[in-house]
Amino acid sequence: MKKVVLVVSAFLFVASLQAQFNKATLQATGLTCSMCSNAVNKALQNVSFVESVKSDIKNSSFDIVFKSNAEVSPDALKDAVEDAGFSVGSLKLTGSFNGLGIENNKHVKIGKQYFHFLQVNDQVLNGEKTITVMDKNFVTEKVFKKYSNATRASCEQTGKTESGERIYHVTI
Amino acid sequence: MEIMIRLKKILFILLLFFFTDQAKAQIPAHGDPAPEIALPSANGDTLRLSSLKGKVVLLDFWASWCGPCRIANRGLVKIYDKFKGENFEIYSVSFDDEKTDWLKAVKQDKIKWLQVNESGKWDARTAVEWGIQALPTTYLIGKDGTLMAMDMEGKVLEKAIKDLLKD
Repeated sequence: MKKVVLVVSAFLFVASLQAQFNKATLQATGLTCSMCSNAVNKALQNVSFVESVKSDIKNSSFDIVFKSNAEVSPDALKDAVEDAGFSVGSLKLTGSFNGLGIENNKHVKIGKQYFHFLQVNDQVLNGEKTITVMDKNFVTEKVFKKYSNATRASCEQTGKTESGERIYHVTI
Repeated sequence: MEIMIRLKKILFILLLFFFTDQAKAQIPAHGDPAPEIALPSANGDTLRLSSLKGKVVLLDFWASWCGPCRIANRGLVKIYDKFKGENFEIYSVSFDDEKTDWLKAVKQDKIKWLQVNESGKWDARTAVEWGIQALPTTYLIGKDGTLMAMDMEGKVLEKAIKDLLKD
């Protein structure tokens, strides 16, 4: 009986997980070359949910693998990069999706976090998908301006929902 | 049996001390003897830093993908041209993962001095032993193999080399 309960609850757990982020590609920008300093690499490695970091020289980016089933916080990655004296130039999160329906300019909850999809077609996400964070301080000023014009929603400027929770603006 | 367990415990503690001691191994600093570096050059022959004892040596850590290093190479070319006839040598260690990238950059930057390579970026053994946290990093080494200065450039570097050559 116990076994059955365990299997059923495990199944329910998996079914309720509509998305799980497992890796990311991050570009750091700054006055000096971010690849030429070990600072960003080390700061990212120290983030609690980060399993490993590899620098991809050809693309001037950091390939980050997350610990399995960890709650991933884009803000924690951004803070690490900023503490190392750089800024985030781009952050792409890759996850496995399981029937997550998204709509353009609408909010959706993934794990414990809210996401606002910009400039996408309404669709159901399945399998491995990559989303790009478009919030302030996750893209260059120029890119942010372009994307923030795509929505009039106030959350784009504040990064908060009406009830004050953190919301990330993303696109595919 | 009891004794065996105790012995094992002691051995474990000793090993623990040994490894934590290793991890804390001092990063070389001013006044220290330069730790040995023995890495392959382009043709595969091992080139030892210690083989340059008796010369003033500029030790340079870089990589082909490091923009600031490539710019710094222009300065090194000038320094090398100026002092190559004297008791002076440059020993460059690249942390390129791809040997072809390294050799291409050596050719492009017209590097004629000693060059060795170790893959692995920040995790390369030499990078860890020397505590390298940024590229480029350079050390000026006296004739007796002592670390005399770090990250000098241009006129300041030229003067320091001149002074050390007189020693």
